[in-house]
Amino acid sequence: MEHKTFVAKMENLELMINFILVHARKQGFDEKMLGQIHLVAEEALVNVVNYGYPGKTGDIEIACGPAEDKQGILIEIVDSGIPFNPLEKPEPDINLPLEERGIGGLGIFMIKKIMDKVTYKRENDKNFLSLVKYVGSTK
Amino acid sequence: METNFSVSLENGVAKMTLAGRIDATNAPALQDEVKKLVGQTVNKIVFFVKDLEYIASAGLRVIVFAKQKLGVAAQVYLIGAQESVLNVVKMSGLDNFMTIQDKFEE
Repeated sequence: MEHKTFVAKMENLELMINFILVHARKQGFDEKMLGQIHLVAEEALVNVVNYGYPGKTGDIEIACGPAEDKQGILIEIVDSGIPFNPLEKPEPDINLPLEERGIGGLGIFMIKKIMDKVTYKRENDKNFLSLVKYVGSTK
Repeated sequence: METNFSVSLENGVAKMTLAGRIDATNAPALQDEVKKLVGQTVNKIVFFVKDLEYIASAGLRVIVFAKQKLGVAAQVYLIGAQESVLNVVKMSGLDNFMTIQDKFEE
């Protein structure tokens, strides 16, 4: 696993996403899947940037490496912000017409739709979001 | 930051042209542009997206925002979407509530 720590701010979003995409490319994803991983990376990181550290600054540590069991990528996003388990959030109702839509939850919904495994744990006052995508998985 | 969107209103048709990437870094600026049209008569909201390569949920929220704030009765169009963009729109179920066309036909 390779690790890198970034200050959790919007200006660093592209740097953080690129760090993840460089590793995804190494694992052999095609351009289409890299686009989806880009989306997942943005949605996960933006949540921490926007809500993780209310009223102060903090860090995001990103770790990337090969998935353990099959060809693919393991992405771990760690922050020491407020406890936040994205998997506990209610899913948005995607059958609602536009005028009745709420504004939240869509990013996490897409992460779960795209990735093969999404797990969360809170440990040592940190949030750990772990994301796995396998090469060739067309989930 | 380079501007990759434009917003205009003509004869009740709100035209939004989006290009490149609409993500969390530039969606708020796009939303500010959309906000300027609030209060005017809008019958159609048309997103021209043939040069749009990437849209994140922050961008989708602007589409929802436009519909809710400009005219709940207005028809929403998505014109010329690339596959990558269309996939994200479909994933979120927004495709069911928009008219999706290659070229804008009223």
